[in-house]
Amino acid sequence: MDSSDEALDIIVTNVVATFRTRCHLNLRTIALEGTNVIYKPEVGKVLMKLRKPKITASIWSSGKIICTGATSEDEAKLGARRLARCLQKLGFKVRFSAFRVVNVLAVCSMPFAIHLIDFTKNNRPIASYEPELHPAATYRIKHLKATIQVFSTGSITVTGPNVQNVATAVEEVYPLLFECQKPLCK
Amino acid sequence: MFRSGLTCPGCGSSNIVDDDLYSQAQLVCTDCGSVVSEGTLADDPVGGSVVSYNRSTAVAKRPCMNLIKGVQRLKALCQILRVNAEIEDQSEKYYKEAYQHESFINVTLQKKEILAGCCLLVSCRMRNWPITMGTISCLLDADFNVVGATYKEMMKILNIKAPIVNVTDVMEAHSQEYKMSSYPEELAENSKDLTRRAVALVELAADSWIVTGRKPIPIMMAAVYLGWQSLKPNQHRLRMSLEKFCQLAQVKKCRAAMTRIAEMKEMLCKLGKELPWLRGAVTPDNVIPQVDDILQNRHALLRRAMRAHEDTLQAECQTSSADPPTEQTAPSQITEHVDQTPSASSVEQCEPNPERAEPPADKEANLHTAPEQSDAQESPDPAPNWGKRVLFAPPCVVHPKKRRAAQPELQDVNGDEEISDSEIDSYLRTPREVRDFALTQKMLSDEGKS
Repeated sequence: MDSSDEALDIIVTNVVATFRTRCHLNLRTIALEGTNVIYKPEVGKVLMKLRKPKITASIWSSGKIICTGATSEDEAKLGARRLARCLQKLGFKVRFSAFRVVNVLAVCSMPFAIHLIDFTKNNRPIASYEPELHPAATYRIKHLKATIQVFSTGSITVTGPNVQNVATAVEEVYPLLFECQKPLCK
Repeated sequence: MFRSGLTCPGCGSSNIVDDDLYSQAQLVCTDCGSVVSEGTLADDPVGGSVVSYNRSTAVAKRPCMNLIKGVQRLKALCQILRVNAEIEDQSEKYYKEAYQHESFINVTLQKKEILAGCCLLVSCRMRNWPITMGTISCLLDADFNVVGATYKEMMKILNIKAPIVNVTDVMEAHSQEYKMSSYPEELAENSKDLTRRAVALVELAADSWIVTGRKPIPIMMAAVYLGWQSLKPNQHRLRMSLEKFCQLAQVKKCRAAMTRIAEMKEMLCKLGKELPWLRGAVTPDNVIPQVDDILQNRHALLRRAMRAHEDTLQAECQTSSADPPTEQTAPSQITEHVDQTPSASSVEQCEPNPERAEPPADKEANLHTAPEQSDAQESPDPAPNWGKRVLFAPPCVVHPKKRRAAQPELQDVNGDEEISDSEIDSYLRTPREVRDFALTQKMLSDEGKS
């Protein structure tokens, strides 16, 4: 195990997952009879919020549902199943299918500050930094399909298709960050 | 119809009529029947074929009118900014290339103008004459975010790698905008002195985390203002507000500059405290006249300030470790450090105790939740709290956002508790309440039916 993993705390803050119910859903019925729902007719979807696990789901009439707000992949699946059960109770012939985690967002804090200009210079095509537009440097790892935003205080946010990729991305970027660290005091 | 002026070559008569045979125009002599002349079979319009000239026979494609206008606008921008010929040529080349690309050929004219500005921006950066995006968006009178998005798209399409500019590079170009030289002695300042002073202030600010991650223009404005005040700190200058200064300099004021000024003054106070020949406290109000001295001796002052900060932290460690700790702490975290050199690790060890020693003032970076869990408070990871330990830290670390604590689930209420006799009364309804309740229910159900 890489020693950097033990020192670093990768906190997964958001997991986005989608699934299908294989049946048409009547949004008006859900809006009228469901609990904790918000109907958005101008967009054509219903937002349903679950308390436990804390999840917000966007429900479309085609039967496609997107769940956001979970803090782990298992929690996302649990929430999705619970949601499907809620819809079943409302009277729809729901079948839980095609569950897929689409995006995972994690934050991590390095124990040192980072000199962003050096970091970008060392990793030229992969890293980009426009200080006027955004305070963080963006580092995209193509083979992992992960994007890492590096802030000069040492915090980084990582987005990727699943938790494993996110962890691998942090491991990959740690040595690059380490060599560009900024000493905290002169 | 008789056609006058025409004679039949066969018989010499002038009885020639138009006779259309199968839509072919013919002139026929009525006496001998010979065809005098005939038109073509195709129904050609009189003026020529329908295919326009330039599509059928033009050899070279003429440049698009909007492209020409765009290049003229680009040249005008170059002249306003007074860039040299190399930059102008390169930006023109980039513009022509980007214009032809599919993602820019069909956009609105305004976006094409922004594209011209972005090409100029990237050429300036590559030739070491950096200007800010704020300048470009001001010149084009366009939304800053749209300029940014266009810039990023253009970089991707043209596949250019431009060097990154930091604030000190742009400082010179920016401070030339401030026109302070044509005023009476009290207020005037020539641009070179002003630039030098402002650059020094910005470098100092960069060491103390004021610059990183912020937009450059407010920082530069704050640096120029404070620099101008400090070059000749007479009453007139010290009392002039940022608003009036911007009016004098004919520059548009930005609101964020006020916060930067406050932050810079705070930083200067921290350093000014270490000046050995000063008597009395250094406050943001009276620090400006000392700025000259501070800048000249800034390295020494920084070292002294760091060391003084270390000493205060050590002292607090010692006093708080003398009291018996109320919570369990890991022994390793309380060990005093004899080593006095300013390094992050030495301060790390004293880290939990200063937190306890200064409880009320601290807006704790407690990523750990509910106050009941005080044992969790003892082992926060060092990184988020380093703002307290170090003399200078980024404002986002010093004043962190409080994470909302997850409400602890009420797991102890499950409905099977014993209810004592004294409490039982509050759970039972009085007869009067029962009557009112029944009445209300009946009224509601009647309303529902009607």
